[in-house]
Amino acid sequence: MLIKISDFLKTDAIFMDIKAREKLDAIKELVDKMVANKCVEDGKEFMKALAKRENLESTGIGDGIAIPHARTNAVQNLVLAFARSPDGVDFSAIDGKPSHLIFLIASPEGKKSEYIMALAKLSRLLRKEPVREQLKAASSPTEILDIIKKNEE
Amino acid sequence: MKKDKENIMVFEKVLLVMTDEVDQSMINTAVGLCKKEKSKLYVLFVIDTHRINRLAQTLRQKIDDIYRTVEETGWQLLYLTEDEAVENGIWTSLHLEEGSLSNAVSRYVESYGIDIIIIKRKDEAKRIFINAPVPVIGL
Repeated sequence: MLIKISDFLKTDAIFMDIKAREKLDAIKELVDKMVANKCVEDGKEFMKALAKRENLESTGIGDGIAIPHARTNAVQNLVLAFARSPDGVDFSAIDGKPSHLIFLIASPEGKKSEYIMALAKLSRLLRKEPVREQLKAASSPTEILDIIKKNEE
Repeated sequence: MKKDKENIMVFEKVLLVMTDEVDQSMINTAVGLCKKEKSKLYVLFVIDTHRINRLAQTLRQKIDDIYRTVEETGWQLLYLTEDEAVENGIWTSLHLEEGSLSNAVSRYVESYGIDIIIIKRKDEAKRIFINAPVPVIGL
């Protein structure tokens, strides 16, 4: 099964500036925005699943990136969202640095392989420093999506 | 070596070392041990660059193509392990490194204060068995 991040990430789930500085606040802000844009229906259950996961691991993978994720039936399909934090969010990253690029991934309980593949694709994409720099410098959701499309193989 | 009040070894931090040759039994062993010992699980996937070079020569494929496949497999295995661990309520931390397997493992054991290593018993793992300052489970 081939997964493309750009097939699942929509411009109405890309948020250029979030304000929260703590990880659960940042995830909540992102979830609220997703609910407002009708990307997710059950925001409360969605938040609960993401928060549960955050308590058991650090989703801050270093280099200024965090990928909060969960499998939950609060979503019906694979859902992706992106948020950028100018000040950085403390995701207890392994390198101790704040996260400026936050990608959120969720899938229904039954779609495990799709979920794992999406996480793997995204992690590999974000390991490339030029991609991270372009995402930091982008000025609009359309530009963010174009960068991802261009760099996906 | 950490021991409890009754002088029994305790494994607070388990390091599961993976390469592209990992199998499900390693994941099960690591998750089972962490559940029993209430340990934290550090999962390290090493992209062994020497092995990739050898594979490229043997298979007559481009190094970049093999690297891409191995890296993607690595992330999938990391997240697969994490998913199983989290289902079992185990705290998990994922890491992906490239270079020499034994060097990466030594660095992680020291940096994170690892108490036990789980690794596939292969040629490249020999040095880890010999030099590791902590117990090693070879599968």
